[in-house]
Amino acid sequence: MAKPHRDLVRDYRQDLRLFGSPTARAGLVAMLVGLVMLPMVVQDDFWLSVLVYVGITAVGAIGLNLLTGYCGQISLGHAFFIGAGAYVTGWVGSDLPLYLWLPAAALVGGMLGAVIGPFALRLRGHYLAIVTLGLVFIGEHLWRNWRGLTGGNSGTSINAQVALGPVDFNRVELAGEVYSRNQGYFWLVWVLVAIVALLVKNLVRTRPGRALQAVRDRDQAAEVIGVRAGRYKIGAFVVSSAIASVAGALFGSYQQFVSPDEWNLLLSIQYIAIVIVGGLGTVFGSILGAVFVGALPALIDRFGDAIPGVRTGVGGEGFISVFALNQAIFGVLIVLFLVFEPRGLAGIWLRIKAYFKSWPFSY
Amino acid sequence: MHRRITCALAAMLLVAGCGGAGDQGGSQSGGTAGAPPSTSGFDGTTIRLGVLSPLSGPVAVIGQPLTAGNKIWFDALNQRGGVAGKYKVELVQEDTQYKPDVTVQQYNKVKGNVVAFTQVLGTAPTLAVLPQLKTDKVLAAPASLDALWVREPNLLPVGGPYQIQVINALDHYLTVGGGSKNSRICTMIQDDVYGEAGLQGLQYAAEKYGFTIATAQRYKTGTENFTGQIQALAGCQMVFLTATPTDAGKIWGTAAQAKFAPRWYAQSPAYAAAMAKSPITPYLQQTAIIVAEGTEWGDEKVSGMKDLVSRTTQFGPSQQPDYYLAFGYNQARAMTAVLEKAVQNGNLSRDGILNALNQLGKVSFDGLTDDYQYGPAETRNPPRSSTLFAVDPAKPFGLKTVKYNTSSDAAKAFEFKKTG
Repeated sequence: MAKPHRDLVRDYRQDLRLFGSPTARAGLVAMLVGLVMLPMVVQDDFWLSVLVYVGITAVGAIGLNLLTGYCGQISLGHAFFIGAGAYVTGWVGSDLPLYLWLPAAALVGGMLGAVIGPFALRLRGHYLAIVTLGLVFIGEHLWRNWRGLTGGNSGTSINAQVALGPVDFNRVELAGEVYSRNQGYFWLVWVLVAIVALLVKNLVRTRPGRALQAVRDRDQAAEVIGVRAGRYKIGAFVVSSAIASVAGALFGSYQQFVSPDEWNLLLSIQYIAIVIVGGLGTVFGSILGAVFVGALPALIDRFGDAIPGVRTGVGGEGFISVFALNQAIFGVLIVLFLVFEPRGLAGIWLRIKAYFKSWPFSY
Repeated sequence: MHRRITCALAAMLLVAGCGGAGDQGGSQSGGTAGAPPSTSGFDGTTIRLGVLSPLSGPVAVIGQPLTAGNKIWFDALNQRGGVAGKYKVELVQEDTQYKPDVTVQQYNKVKGNVVAFTQVLGTAPTLAVLPQLKTDKVLAAPASLDALWVREPNLLPVGGPYQIQVINALDHYLTVGGGSKNSRICTMIQDDVYGEAGLQGLQYAAEKYGFTIATAQRYKTGTENFTGQIQALAGCQMVFLTATPTDAGKIWGTAAQAKFAPRWYAQSPAYAAAMAKSPITPYLQQTAIIVAEGTEWGDEKVSGMKDLVSRTTQFGPSQQPDYYLAFGYNQARAMTAVLEKAVQNGNLSRDGILNALNQLGKVSFDGLTDDYQYGPAETRNPPRSSTLFAVDPAKPFGLKTVKYNTSSDAAKAFEFKKTG
């Protein structure tokens, strides 16, 4: 009995598998090995800290992509929920263990999202963008004046416990080796990226996920065929805000100090840029976008002195500073992406996959 | 599937040679006095120091001259032979864009190959790296005049804090500036940490001298229209301003247009040289006094200034006269005092540097700022004096001295507390 070809899909359940093909499973194993091994190989604090920030950004970007990419609700208020998560951690993180304060941050974020969500029922597109924009400014006022929680303008230090049972992520001891805080945090953050990615991926391939996409494409038509658009819009806001708060909680606990200056409009816009460059409506794209937006400036910064004409310090040679070069390259890349690859980095990835599916034939 | 997992495990065992990085940067000993052994950031001949400064973005107007000031001091020192006459100093500059998270990244990037940081610019960025400075036992010199820094063992502050500037300004206003307890005294502050410091100084002065603050107007950096705040200040006879140059220029411009002319006193970071060559110059000449430290640029009577001017012409010929340049120069001088002590003890490791700071006594800045009594964090005593300047376009930096190095009793009595 000959087996059917591995790409042949014969029933609906098969089509919904998360890791359907052998290649995908191999990729999963490679990713897991990478996750475990990378901090042991890259011991440099700078790169580890860049990667930790990238991971935190990836969590937040997955949340925004669920809302904007899958459900079509534009939000400029993402920074507000990220800030909320960080302050919840500052408030309860020192008294509660990791497995309690992280869900607590998610819970608070989700509740805030539930309060904002209903606005999406009456408003669409640009109008919703402006309402969520207001959220950033309300948030900023709140963070500057609610001194008991945020320390006001002076900011607040965050001393969250990051231990799970015997493993303290600030100083991991395994098999006689001691791992630094940055190595420990790399594992903590990227394991959470994996968990959040899995949750969202699972959500979008099932009934609620299809409902979200129906709402995104034609919300009135979706209502007609029996999707309760209102419920799903609010639901998307709740889940997305909860994920954003988790990202904020990780950010606060890693940086150990946050001030109200961090949760501004620029942060929200940066997240929108990440999901566009990564690819709207894909989970993998959110992670790619975060890596791209987070690691590219660091790369240019690190190797700036090797590029001719780049000035790396005061009194140095050159005509363009590292920062100016970064801004220019970043801007050019966003334009190029939108023009040549609207599906973002994930689109490039899909193209490569499609090419090799029928390789060596062209179709 | 099972076979793959086995492969993965095998691969893990293969690379198990790589591993932890948790026990690095330990202290060393075994150096002899005057000849410390090499350690992270010191290869036996050259001492490397980190600089975390906004070299780009809106705060680069402060970061660039400040870093140039660091560099001018060390270039001059290297020409004389270096620390203890034999170790050259090299700066490792990193751009922080004035953002806390970028500062943390850049700190991580260079902490392994510097002995200490001779500049970290900004209150929020400094607070962001402070927990790590404590864990890594690294010393850093903050480039801001916050009172918060005085009691931190891992920080090396210079100069009289913002609060001291405000108290001395109020003392001047109430004694010779024509004010009294019953004058309408107001303030306008930037709505952030720096503004809070100014307000704290004013509240302390109000308590000491027995006046009340009529109104405190707050504004956000980058505000376009200050008409509302200026209207709210109407009727004030004296306004203390805690701002940075871009906003201060707009505020004074709005006030001048509204024909509102109280007696302005402003914190040192509010002033920039361009203000002495602008349409608001006549208004400022009539109304404003800037509270800073040291002396006017090019004042030959103060020996520190004489050196600074000659070294700037030699090592930074393109640099304009600038208050921040002098600040960076002072920071570098304080750091040099610490390094000299550490070399004397024969230990340039992180512990050795912190020890050297604890043993350091009074450091003199030759009149560019008042002497600072270093030592253990709990017994440090920052300068209590300020210099009052008036705007004068004929001067190199546009400021002429009104009263040099004055310190009021209230400023001397101000107590610095540990951060929470």
